[in-house]
Amino acid sequence: MIEIRLHGRGGQGAVTASRIIATAAYEEGQYSQAIPMYGTERRGAPLTAFVRLDNQRVRERSLVHTPDISIVLDPLIAKQQAVVDDLKPGGLVLLNTAYGPEDVKIGGNFKVATVDATTIALETLGRPITNTAILGAFAKVTGLLKVESIEKAIKKYFPGRLGDMNIAAVRRSYEEVKGPIQAVVKDATAEKVDIHVGGYGVLKDVSSWRVFTPEVDVDKCIGCKSCWIFCPETAIQWDEEKKKPMIEYRKCKGCGLCANECPVEAIEMVRVEA
Amino acid sequence: MSYEVMVGNKAAATACKLARVQVASAFPITPQTTITQYLSEMYAAGEWDFDFVNVEGELTSQVVVQAASRVGARTFTCTSGPGLLYMHHPMQTTGSARLPVVMAIVHRGYKGMQPDHSDLMSQQWTGWGHQYVEHAQEILDSLLMAYKVAEDPRIRIPIAVGYDGYVLSYTAEPVEIPEQEVVDKWLPPYKAMPSVLPDEVDPSTFARGWGGGDPQMPWKVHHEAVLKIEDVLKETMDSFEKTFGRRYGNGMIEPYMMEDAECAIMAMGTIAGTCKAAVEKMQSEGKKVGLIKLRSFIPFPVKDLQEWAKKLDGFAVVDRSVCPGKGGPSYGKLRDSLYDLEEKPVTLQFHAGLGGKEVRIRDFEMIGEKILKAAKGGTVEQVTWV
Repeated sequence: MIEIRLHGRGGQGAVTASRIIATAAYEEGQYSQAIPMYGTERRGAPLTAFVRLDNQRVRERSLVHTPDISIVLDPLIAKQQAVVDDLKPGGLVLLNTAYGPEDVKIGGNFKVATVDATTIALETLGRPITNTAILGAFAKVTGLLKVESIEKAIKKYFPGRLGDMNIAAVRRSYEEVKGPIQAVVKDATAEKVDIHVGGYGVLKDVSSWRVFTPEVDVDKCIGCKSCWIFCPETAIQWDEEKKKPMIEYRKCKGCGLCANECPVEAIEMVRVEA
Repeated sequence: MSYEVMVGNKAAATACKLARVQVASAFPITPQTTITQYLSEMYAAGEWDFDFVNVEGELTSQVVVQAASRVGARTFTCTSGPGLLYMHHPMQTTGSARLPVVMAIVHRGYKGMQPDHSDLMSQQWTGWGHQYVEHAQEILDSLLMAYKVAEDPRIRIPIAVGYDGYVLSYTAEPVEIPEQEVVDKWLPPYKAMPSVLPDEVDPSTFARGWGGGDPQMPWKVHHEAVLKIEDVLKETMDSFEKTFGRRYGNGMIEPYMMEDAECAIMAMGTIAGTCKAAVEKMQSEGKKVGLIKLRSFIPFPVKDLQEWAKKLDGFAVVDRSVCPGKGGPSYGKLRDSLYDLEEKPVTLQFHAGLGGKEVRIRDFEMIGEKILKAAKGGTVEQVTWV
């Protein structure tokens, strides 16, 4: 049995990618199972999906804990060591990144392949939805499925012109993928950001969800508490002495409500660097 | 025959289409919601001729299908967790009036949104047939069979088919879709007929104001009808296999790798699938543990389990629910089924997967080890929370 874990963000189509793999596998006579992991998702939040492929009906219903392959659909998440957590020794990680596999900084005993799926998606689909733009690379570097089966599966999910555009993305990613090579960095990096979905609201470290980060200009702030009232995640603490907000970034998912509510534009949403 | 890689909830909606349901009514609740979405899409696309009645709550959806069934329509509804509790009152009438409503229950627990079986388990006194299924194909097949059983003129009884929310409702896997013509032939349109209730019942009373002098009689009649599901379900499983080529044990239970087993694990729903993988692993290591998947909780397969018990040294019962202060529902029922046997196997109670807690292959290996040890006379605690 082959077990696959997909990492992406809400809106990138990781769940659809898992279903396309499952469908393509069935086209080739394998049984499959595609499991989405549901938590408090929203567009942009990191999420996980799993696929099992086997030559008989897949029996077990637990989550995938030790995947053979990890696929990462997002270039920011692709920088996190957590994408190779519990990967089987000698397993494979396929990253969406503009860097080649030799420049990948995450480390351990695994093979790594890279493809710039975001650029492919932007140029073929006009949108940064990377699920199909990584599947051609998946077919090439794993050899598990024929690219034709993936194209056939894609037609089931995206009929007509949209299907053709997605198939163009698959073909380009099949051609442009680099690797796999043995990971250059031998040891896991120390820094760990939680990218796994699970748990609710304030209990969870959601800092990796942010594409934009709120920054407060305390000189502009008039102490009206609007941001403190409106934050949906209670990520803003109120400093009663200074009459200023303090953002607890662990809880902040980067929704931008505080910046929107601030009457004096004292909060700026700053793009997180890739 | 075609196939589609589909999620459990789509398998349920597809079964409605194949059964040519005439009236569907449901109120959306996670994790059942996407069934109502699929049905709405199918309605909008005109895939077949049916009415989808939008309602303001689950109580009303049950009343809608009840009324539609009463005038002779084939009906479907579905819900989850708290929505099922809200249906509790009209479900009694559907049962009492012996209306062949079929309902999908997408399990959701009460202590959090993740799945366990406490929702359907809390409806034991409503007088429906209760079935628990393991995978998406089994959802589709079981709902088709549920219509055949529910509408059988000998019994006419509503049936609820339960499957785990999230774990199965949203997981996609290959499902074979039978040809519509084949289903049409096997499951002909539902024909309303005069009431199956005794003559004393005035049909206008919704099966409440029973005539005659014995106020106890409605319960007796209802109880006996539910017990008759067993024979009809077994017959239906045989004819289903003849037509569609698939079967799930005898309909009541599905034994798996029980040929050489000394001990059995009894489990229901998706965790029974995980148990199958565990049993394969254990038997490859020479540990003689098999699985008896419990499909029909009501009526309970008393005779089948007695027959198996005669051959076994141990029975480990896994309940994905607990009646607080009372224990696991299927454990209690199994123990009472075995009371009349002269030689009884050892039985152990396990609670697993409550509140959506993940149940893994290694958990079933632990359960297998414990029942083997207990069967050999070892000391093992009677109740384990996995």
